[in-house]
Amino acid sequence: MIDKRFRIAAVIGISLVFLLAWVFPIVWSVMNSLKTEQDVLAYPPKFLFAPTLAAYRDVLFGSGSILPNLLSSFIISIGTTIVTMIMAVPAAYALARLRVPGKRFAGFYVLATQMLPPVGIIIPYFLILRNIGWMDTYQGIILIYLSFSLPFAIWLLVSYFEDIPFEMEEAAYIDGASRWKTLWRIIIPQVRGGIAVTVVFVFLNAWNEFLFAVVLSGNTVRPVTIAMFNFVSVEQTLWTKLAAVSVLAMLPVIVLGIVAQKHIVKGLTVGAVKGGGRR
Amino acid sequence: MNMRGQVHFDRIVKMHGNFSALKGIDFTIQPGEFFALLGPSGSGKSTTLRILAGLDMPTSGTVVIDGKDVTALDAKDRDVAMVFQSYALYPHMTVFENIAFPLEMAKVGKAEIEPAVREAARKVKIDHLLDRKPGQLSGGQQQRCALARAIVRKARLFLLDEPLSNLDAKLRLETRIELKKLQRSLGVTAVYVTHDQEEAMTLADRMAVFMEGQIQQIGRPSEVFAKPNSVDVAAFIGSPPMNLIEGRYADGHVEIEGHRLRTSHQIAGSRNVIVGIRPGAMRLEAGGLPATVDLVEDLGDTAVLDLTLGGATLRARVSDGPVPKEGQAVSVTARPEDIHLFDATTRKRL
Repeated sequence: MIDKRFRIAAVIGISLVFLLAWVFPIVWSVMNSLKTEQDVLAYPPKFLFAPTLAAYRDVLFGSGSILPNLLSSFIISIGTTIVTMIMAVPAAYALARLRVPGKRFAGFYVLATQMLPPVGIIIPYFLILRNIGWMDTYQGIILIYLSFSLPFAIWLLVSYFEDIPFEMEEAAYIDGASRWKTLWRIIIPQVRGGIAVTVVFVFLNAWNEFLFAVVLSGNTVRPVTIAMFNFVSVEQTLWTKLAAVSVLAMLPVIVLGIVAQKHIVKGLTVGAVKGGGRR
Repeated sequence: MNMRGQVHFDRIVKMHGNFSALKGIDFTIQPGEFFALLGPSGSGKSTTLRILAGLDMPTSGTVVIDGKDVTALDAKDRDVAMVFQSYALYPHMTVFENIAFPLEMAKVGKAEIEPAVREAARKVKIDHLLDRKPGQLSGGQQQRCALARAIVRKARLFLLDEPLSNLDAKLRLETRIELKKLQRSLGVTAVYVTHDQEEAMTLADRMAVFMEGQIQQIGRPSEVFAKPNSVDVAAFIGSPPMNLIEGRYADGHVEIEGHRLRTSHQIAGSRNVIVGIRPGAMRLEAGGLPATVDLVEDLGDTAVLDLTLGGATLRARVSDGPVPKEGQAVSVTARPEDIHLFDATTRKRL
């Protein structure tokens, strides 16, 4: 009896430690974004303070507003997501269904691109964009983002397409549907969940991306992940503003995560049990 | 009478790599006929249906529907309807939308779709379920939904791939009867794939028996049952299957395990044969083959006896008279016209 209670207490204790480590950065950001610069620097740290929205007012509507950067992030993320999905859905369907030569190799290649360390390929990308004059442009950054979002999206979607029995497609042909109509009317409605999950992941990856953006963007196209560093300089770090921008940058991610939660959980377990996950 | 729906298969061959799934299939189906493709699994019957549907291309040969060569035509352009073994209902659509789908694809007007769907659903008695999704239906209801989707378009051919095999035994019998009535009332040509000889026997006007990629025999079920043209067909048709024993023919008699039975066959000379006798044609009468009763399966109105006769095992179905006990010695015989003879080497009917 004691043994069991001890076990439960231990599990709760360990969970709390992990939860704290996870939640702390978010709590820290939110708290500091609501403080004044003096309160941030106070030692010992103040847990009770008069909250102010001054930092948010400054970063949104002040002289160094990050609104253009948020807009940049949205354009890049939405653009990447749209182009990725337009190409990934037919590609994944083809990989799942058609007997194309080299299909297995293509599947492996798609996965292998996910294993490369991004740092290793960033210089060639930089050179390519500079040579075609696409540095610091939306099309340039979206093109480079496609190089990792597209394989990822295809890989994720293939398992959803494979889950649909081929007989259902044949039934549609017999019913007089063309291959295109079958894909549109029969297949895609059944992989809606998978498409939703993929859209969320692709969007988030693009939204959170930092390494490529810092090298390939400039003053025209400057996503919010890079713009945060406006508040860090050699002389000082504007902690409240930095925290406010962090919170603003996290907001779409958190909202999207909550909205898509149901689909994401289903998506990650798809294929675990035969016939599970769908519907 | 509807004269659409004539099918002609001309020397259809299907290769999967080096394996020949179909080794030259020929048959003709007349309009309005209920035609069964019967055979064990892997015999090529499903491949034949898929080629007829346009889901598979034959390696060589021609498929003709209503006088037109359709071998290269896509499934969607063949004007055939099909019921799949798994039903293949569209899970994201309601029953109504499922049944309406073929009409939509045929660009039938909205105003005509509604009554047509209701009519098809009424024929298979699911008109009260039109708003449900397939996942909310029982197996039998799903099967009816698949049937309704197939009949709604009034296609010239109605293809069925083992449509009853996922139903439980009782429902299977009920649906079998309804299926036959439905086909009669529609007057449509039906091609029905099954491995269940009883289904084929009861449903089909004619049937083709498939073995190892070839048609062994085509004919009315009663013909195939009465005169199987090879040992393999004889062993496949009938339940319990025909007794097949090695013997020797001479002079109007067959000799089995040293005992003689008279047969109505007249063949010149004497030769080794395989003797076939249906269990139902076996009679417990004196003066026949001496055998021992091994096992009695009492089915209520009839009993099936397992008999040992020298080194051979025979089965007999008796429906009247006293049922012998296990271990009892009996004498079995058959009327001369009930004895089938097959060549011992070619295994063909003599």
